[in-house]
Amino acid sequence: MMIENVFSTRVTSLKSNLFPGLLLFSFFVELQPAPAASQEDQAAIKSTEIQVQFEKQIKPVIKSLCISCHNAEDAESGVSLEHLDGTLADRHVFLWEEIREQIADRAMPPEDEKQPTSEQRKLLVGWIEKAIVAAKSKPQTKNGAVRRLTVSQYRNTLNSLLGLKEDFTGLLPPDAISKDGFLNEQMSMQLSPLLVETYFEIAEKALDRCIVNEKSKPTIQTLRMELGKSINPEPCSDRLILGANSRLLANEDFIVTEPVPRKPFEFTHRRIQTKHRFIEGYRGNATVRGWREFDSIYHSVFACVRGTPGYPVGLPNESAPDGLLLRPAIPNPGLFGVSGTYGPNANFKISLRELPSNGNFRVKVTAAKYNDGLLLDRHAKPQPEMSATAFALPDGKSTRARIQKSGLYQVDIYASAKDSKKKDLDKKANPKGLFVTLQLGGRVFSGKLNQPAFLVVRLKSGELPITVEASPSARADKVVITPLKNRSDKNGDDSKKRFLQMESRSPRLGVHVGFRRDCGSTLAPVGLLKSVLHNELREFVFEDAINNFPSPDVEKNNVNYLAGIREIAVRSEYTDGRDMPRLLVKSVEFEGPYYECWPPKSHTNIFIESKNQKDRSTYAREIIKSFASRAFRRPVTTRELNSLHLIWSGSFKSSNDFHGSIKDALLVVLTSPQFLFQIENSESSKPEPLDSFELASKLSYFLWNSSPDDRLMKLASSSKLRSQIDSETNRMINDPKFRDFADSFASQWLDLDKLGVVETDRSRFSRLTREVKNSLRQEPVELVQHLIRNNMPLKNLVQSDFIMTNEIVASYYGLGDKTESGFEFIPIRHGSDRLGGVLTHAGILASLSDGRESNPIKRGAWLARKIVAEPPDDPPPNVPQLPEDDGTKRTLRERLELHRNQKGCVKCHEGIDPWGLPLEEFDAGGLLKASKVASSSLLPDQTNVNNTNELKAYLAEKRIDQVAFSFLKHLATYASGRTLSYNEIEFLKREGLKFKKDNYPMKELVQFVIKSPIFMDK
Amino acid sequence: MNADFRIDRRAVIKGIAGASLALPVLDVMGSEIAEQTPKRFCAVYTANGMSLPKKENGIDEWSWFPRSKEEDRPQAKNKSQREIVFGESTNPLDPFKKQVSFLGGLHHENGLKADPHVCSDMWLTGAPLHNPKPGTYNTVSLDQVVAQHTKQHCRQPSLVLSIDAGTGFLSRTGTISYSLEGKPIPAENHPRQIFDRLFREDKTSLEGKRKKLQRRIKLVDAVLENARAFNRRLGQSDRQKMDQYLTSLNEVESRLIASEKWIEIPLKKQDHSHLDLSVTNESEPASYYQNMFDLIALAFDADITRSVSFMLNREDGMGISDTFPLKLGLSRTHHNLSHAADKAGQLEFAKYDKFLSEQLCYFFKRLNEYQDKTGSVLDNSIVLYGSGASTTHQPRNLPTLVAGGASMGLKHGTYWKNDDSRMSNLHLSILRSMGIGIKSFSDSTGTIADSVFSKS
Repeated sequence: MMIENVFSTRVTSLKSNLFPGLLLFSFFVELQPAPAASQEDQAAIKSTEIQVQFEKQIKPVIKSLCISCHNAEDAESGVSLEHLDGTLADRHVFLWEEIREQIADRAMPPEDEKQPTSEQRKLLVGWIEKAIVAAKSKPQTKNGAVRRLTVSQYRNTLNSLLGLKEDFTGLLPPDAISKDGFLNEQMSMQLSPLLVETYFEIAEKALDRCIVNEKSKPTIQTLRMELGKSINPEPCSDRLILGANSRLLANEDFIVTEPVPRKPFEFTHRRIQTKHRFIEGYRGNATVRGWREFDSIYHSVFACVRGTPGYPVGLPNESAPDGLLLRPAIPNPGLFGVSGTYGPNANFKISLRELPSNGNFRVKVTAAKYNDGLLLDRHAKPQPEMSATAFALPDGKSTRARIQKSGLYQVDIYASAKDSKKKDLDKKANPKGLFVTLQLGGRVFSGKLNQPAFLVVRLKSGELPITVEASPSARADKVVITPLKNRSDKNGDDSKKRFLQMESRSPRLGVHVGFRRDCGSTLAPVGLLKSVLHNELREFVFEDAINNFPSPDVEKNNVNYLAGIREIAVRSEYTDGRDMPRLLVKSVEFEGPYYECWPPKSHTNIFIESKNQKDRSTYAREIIKSFASRAFRRPVTTRELNSLHLIWSGSFKSSNDFHGSIKDALLVVLTSPQFLFQIENSESSKPEPLDSFELASKLSYFLWNSSPDDRLMKLASSSKLRSQIDSETNRMINDPKFRDFADSFASQWLDLDKLGVVETDRSRFSRLTREVKNSLRQEPVELVQHLIRNNMPLKNLVQSDFIMTNEIVASYYGLGDKTESGFEFIPIRHGSDRLGGVLTHAGILASLSDGRESNPIKRGAWLARKIVAEPPDDPPPNVPQLPEDDGTKRTLRERLELHRNQKGCVKCHEGIDPWGLPLEEFDAGGLLKASKVASSSLLPDQTNVNNTNELKAYLAEKRIDQVAFSFLKHLATYASGRTLSYNEIEFLKREGLKFKKDNYPMKELVQFVIKSPIFMDK
Repeated sequence: MNADFRIDRRAVIKGIAGASLALPVLDVMGSEIAEQTPKRFCAVYTANGMSLPKKENGIDEWSWFPRSKEEDRPQAKNKSQREIVFGESTNPLDPFKKQVSFLGGLHHENGLKADPHVCSDMWLTGAPLHNPKPGTYNTVSLDQVVAQHTKQHCRQPSLVLSIDAGTGFLSRTGTISYSLEGKPIPAENHPRQIFDRLFREDKTSLEGKRKKLQRRIKLVDAVLENARAFNRRLGQSDRQKMDQYLTSLNEVESRLIASEKWIEIPLKKQDHSHLDLSVTNESEPASYYQNMFDLIALAFDADITRSVSFMLNREDGMGISDTFPLKLGLSRTHHNLSHAADKAGQLEFAKYDKFLSEQLCYFFKRLNEYQDKTGSVLDNSIVLYGSGASTTHQPRNLPTLVAGGASMGLKHGTYWKNDDSRMSNLHLSILRSMGIGIKSFSDSTGTIADSVFSKS
């Protein structure tokens, strides 16, 4: 007793040091022990009785009747009873419930085995019921939590703490996936020496990036490429080649300069190296050898239009007087597989020999939406020719026209072969049609001329200079420019409508950085793409950290002309091939490392303003205090501060290097458990409320996957967070960072990463490219986010009259014409009898296949686990595989039945296959199969559904409580980062029902989980 | 000196826990390093089994297991040991006829009971994954037992490599190595990162290197001390993760201290010019594998480590390696091919086996080129190559090949077959051959006597 007292006092005093706010609470617990104890005692007595009865009466029965099949070795039907005892540990309660059911229903033991007497049955059932009641009333021990940040949490936390954009986590081993599919489950998280070593490496590297020598001058590299037809008066005189298949802009169509940046601090302007000596190079496709000297910026910076040639309509890119015109960059079919590295069609890039080795960079693109015309396809008809509209080209090239009225016009071009044998035109010029470049004023339109009808374009009234360049063997005779009538053409020509649609769209500008490889491209996007809405030039800025992009890592003095080439690509991004005005790019500028000020913010974040800067020791203490409090996501304790300061002083004493010694102390901070772990400290085995800082962190890692922001920390330190929990969660859900929640929760819950792993059969599903897969993978994430943000009924998860979609997904579903949202996901009414809800998300259906055939078992198991939370047991040992194709030409359904009917398979498959069979309507690409298939199914509760729609209706109506429970269970598991206990599951089942009358509004469900003891207690 | 009296450096470190730093140089440990010829182990795993075509497809010559000359001479005396006649898919190994043996009939006792997909998890461990001890994940893998007994002689206890980095997850593991506690050890897969970690020589002076290391030790020590203090102040919180963290920190510290002695010993001068470190697992499969094998061979040659595991590909179509057959011009993915029952599919599966044999051949060639004081590196290394399934999902008759280790008493050139032999017995035989005198490994019942292993 004495000892206990001493101990508890010590703990309390320690605790007051650590968490002053908790002092009161501990006293409270100590003063009121009596009632809790007696309840516990009672429970203890009861549980002993139950155990005694188990040993004496129950165990022998089970042993004689069950164990011969259900032992650990054989585990018939995946069930072993050998390890069960009378304590009814939480993890065994479900199994006991199952046993009770089997015995009560006389389903077990099987008919052909020894049967229990009816007394024995009664005894078993009675005991199990009693024991379960006792287990449920057992006080739940709660011992806080210590769990490591996941890799993405660690990345977000480190980056926001240090104010860096660079991602250092590439070195970390990926997180393990828990049985429930989550990455943040505390028990499945691994901690290995390699991981700890890596934490040190990362901390070291990250601090090196932050801490600079303020007295040194930073070095800045700049580059500007200006684009336009024949704008370079002094073009490089060499014929430039950058490897096989390379296409470069004409030397006179661009100018490279290195402008001196304007900065409010002193710096060194680094110019790119222009003198080179290479022994290996390319001429066409052949490697050439022999030393050659180069001395020109045009051998260091290239204007490259690489990618497979060919574009469906018009030129992928062409130089116009006012800049470079880009059509949307079509993903190369090579991007189909996970390993595809080929670049897209219509891709412009600056290829250059040097980029800074670290730091942030900025790319500024001056661009506009081109005042474009619509190239007509081969079925378009020429307008009737009239004297007022026809303009002859006497020199075969140019003329001037007078446009009477501003408006839409169709331009038809008539050309003939130069040798005047008209009928041979097609063969002579180009077997597939004549290639022409039409200039109207300053605007350029190139394309194949399959028939006179060439272009629809908006023209202003007045004088219009026209030139037409036909390919060498032909000459243009005349152009006909006809105003388009307001009414659409009776012949069904919709070119005017198409033009207006095109004109209303805006190209989306993306910048990508990577390096050159022979086999293709390694480009990765810089920030988010931007819509270019205006016809006037504007500046668009993209920023990121250079080390987030792949680099070729070649030695400085390499001897190969093609080695180590970095790339900055500028694209008009492609969704689905709809008509799009071209992107006009006037110039591209690079600056890096990019500093707004010097020393940079990442430095002054650490070396804070202080009047004590002269007093090294005091200043160090202030720095450490500020940094550690942010890093630990709570005020640093005096004890912690003292020991960190000691590390500083030890290091400073031996090195006399202030920055270095601060770095040492901060490195310890960044590798300490207080930084690397989410800690909920518990003082007893009873549930205790989270302290306010623990709550701030837990909320923030749950809803943002990142550390708490200033506001959360402020609320925590003034202890107001708990009382404002609803408004705070509301704020957090509306914050852009909530996207991180949606992405990690939805993709882990619904197992969305599978889609990236399935190797899709290209010949059958050619539309399922990597880009399409990326968008399809996002669809469920967007839906979950939308439903929560807008507090919409949960039913929409399984059945809904709208889909969240971007142009790519909509096109995949054949609904491309219903949206103009580009890459942005917005809700649209699908008006389809098969869409709506995650069950028919093509990405999910496709991921639950082998890439060739749909798979009802995979789909069924997924649905059972994820949507109705009735997970099937793991397959028992020695399950015979389904025979691939044994020559009997049985359908998969028949083979399944064969498999199912084997002893040991039935039980599980009854809970799996029925869920998957209705989804057989959809192929391995996630779309409706062309021919009708058998899709009826008898569900586990004996409801018959005939197809997917009936299954959806069944889930949305009859089984909505179960779907809600599944969502809550997965959400609570993710929120708490651990497997839920039996009682917690029961709690969710029971309490979740309260939301039924409001149709399970999704945001409220999230807030319910947050406010539940599952989340709030530790 | 008797091995048992050797001072365990780790024990010393543990004894003075935290007080750290200026450790006396322990001469006892240093001197023997240079003298003994290293004994090394390398495990190379391929998933989804090997091609053992069905009779009716009429392509028996593509079976992975060799035929044996004695099949033609039924009166041969020793039936369990027969001379190798390479099949089409192992033919590339013919130049190493005298340095390799095939072993047939092996299985993991626990593999027969488990879900077939855990076969890669248990290949080196033999653990009862169908019925694990409560709270455990797996059991220690063979390579880690080797590491435990060789780490005092080299810079790195072990090198854990795989086609995909990390651990994967149970039954679809991305690593074949498991720690003493049975936890998966995250694998590395990036040639450049591996090279930088193992071979990139610090350009600073000896003094600079020592200072750098001592600073790191000091910092790790400070973190350890703080973490311990913090751990003490944690009330009744669940400590499992803290314990894991502290253990890992401890291990990092002892590794650092152990590496101190290596500062004075310069890395062996080696030619690295054949490496192409821009290669990743997304590059051509052959160049990826060959660069990885180059790194292993170099690490062995420089005695950086004596224990390596390398998972060439993963079970059940996981990871990028599943697409390698497509990259090589075959028509289906690795996992799909492993399930093929038709002639064309089985032939293609076997052709992929052949591709793997070629990579292995490259590895052996490399190991043979490097010379230790006595014998080639291959003579002083035991290489275990195989799969956890004979052909897909079959837990019996695991395809197994053992190479090298001549100086450890291994006799090669035969196809040994015994239909009821445990893998764990093979694992124990390997350990014993390396002079590691432990009683048993996993569920071993003994060594494989009268076979390629002469030491039992």
